[in-house]
Amino acid sequence: MRIPCPYCGERDAHEFAYLGDATLTRPDPAAEDAEARFHDYVYLRDNPAGAHVEWWYHANGCRQWLKVERDTRTHAIAAARAAREADTPAGDAA
Amino acid sequence: MADRSSHDPLAGIAFDRLPPAGAYGAPGEPGVVASTAEPFVALVLARPGKAASVVDRLHRAFSVALADRPHAAIEGNTTVIGTAPGRFLVLSRTDADLFGTLRAILGTDATVTEQSDGYVTFDVTGDRVSDVLAKGALIDLDPVAFHVGDAVTTVIAHIGVTLWRSGEKSWRVLVGRSYEASFTRFLIASAAEYGLRLENKGSEGRG
Repeated sequence: MRIPCPYCGERDAHEFAYLGDATLTRPDPAAEDAEARFHDYVYLRDNPAGAHVEWWYHANGCRQWLKVERDTRTHAIAAARAAREADTPAGDAA
Repeated sequence: MADRSSHDPLAGIAFDRLPPAGAYGAPGEPGVVASTAEPFVALVLARPGKAASVVDRLHRAFSVALADRPHAAIEGNTTVIGTAPGRFLVLSRTDADLFGTLRAILGTDATVTEQSDGYVTFDVTGDRVSDVLAKGALIDLDPVAFHVGDAVTTVIAHIGVTLWRSGEKSWRVLVGRSYEASFTRFLIASAAEYGLRLENKGSEGRG
């Protein structure tokens, strides 16, 4: 599998570290039900067969976090953007 | 000069010792000549929103044709390599106070980190360089795809490197200093079929 890094170009997946689901939002720790929300945030994951948005870290390249849209059935990659330019804050991941 | 043209050019060389200068592998005119250098190195990291300004300041100071992308801008004794958005490695063969020079040039637009002791560079020249490096790389290093001035940060033989093509048949590979022996072993093993001449670094200072 090759991931099109926006800075480095297309690179082998071995250069990257995988973090996982990029659609999760860190819950508010001050919320009433924070404990239950954090349980879900930390442990519960969907396992979709198909389109998936996920974080990848280009450890052996530009050392930037990427937000990658990958099809889990075919490994076809629809898009890869720098996390710093993606719409979701990357602070939690980075 | 050692002459190691046996079937196993690394036989008898301890894995954690720097292999001696000499001829390795196929006899005759070597397909690849490698030597190491210890240039002065500093890392420049632009502060948020200052990448364009950093490019401009480096351009004016060193007359390098620079952009915020992965390439090698070489002018005189100075080389500037793009390694990430807003991040540049600056190498100098002569400026012992490269850190101070860059601080003066860049002001508060970037953080500068002294890296001279962290890296060595391999100057690798010859007709078969891309064939040799390709044995350890996961990217296309064919001269048709990898042009003079192109630079990449990637892995070769599981060793993190930044490499760039400085001329038609000359390449430079920046390797962490503690990987010098490992990378030299990779060069010897991979260049054996073409012949490798490994040259000692000179004792006349850095660069």
